[in-house]
Amino acid sequence: MQDNITKLFKAIADPTRRDIFHALVIATSALSITQISNQFLMTRQGVTKHIKILNDAGLVQMKEDGRNRFCFADPKPLKEVNKWMQFYAQFWDDSLDNLDNYLKTKKDA
Amino acid sequence: MNKTITKEKVFNHSIDQIWNAITNAEEISAWFLKADFKAEVGYKYVFNSSEKNCSAIIGEVLEANPYTLTYTWIVKDTPAITKVTWKLENLGNATKLYLEHSGIENYVGDTAIAMFESFNGGWDNCINGLSTYLKEEVNAR
Repeated sequence: MQDNITKLFKAIADPTRRDIFHALVIATSALSITQISNQFLMTRQGVTKHIKILNDAGLVQMKEDGRNRFCFADPKPLKEVNKWMQFYAQFWDDSLDNLDNYLKTKKDA
Repeated sequence: MNKTITKEKVFNHSIDQIWNAITNAEEISAWFLKADFKAEVGYKYVFNSSEKNCSAIIGEVLEANPYTLTYTWIVKDTPAITKVTWKLENLGNATKLYLEHSGIENYVGDTAIAMFESFNGGWDNCINGLSTYLKEEVNAR
């Protein structure tokens, strides 16, 4: 779990990777490495490096078609990030419950 | 993604009881986190969890006028600065507490990673530990 979320954060920490991910999300079909490198004016090696990190994080899936590899976005893992970012909401709920219990106990004492 | 968390809760206690509970170091330590705290503008406070693997919270008091308390909230050894504001409203027999935690958007990228790693066991442990601590305290009386 921790490894996964660390990979996710690393993947989305980089603005170029966020842009690539976004381009894949809005693309109507899977994009090849060549198409992505043309769109971002990057080398194939550069794109491949970013795609590998996004793929490790589960944000980009690959499919082979003949000699070409196509990439498509998978936003599902982002739910984990969102859930984690919401942890303060839970933290404050729990803390205010603790405050309530504390005050009740104090009153009874 | 919510960038500011807001909470409202009504307590069946007087406004001064609540104010003391959130501003007095001894009281904060009893229900929240072990506190070195003074409700004075400029005071650099420290909240420590009683559990291992829970990072300390540090910050500075920005406003402390009954019944508004604001301080910065920094997870120790992380660069992101967030802000917590407590406001109390007298409802007669009860008190309404407004809590606002802003600047959550500052936890992005590497900061989020650093913060996540700084918690190891996660906040659940810190809070559950606190509840256990409170129960023991109450039973011991």
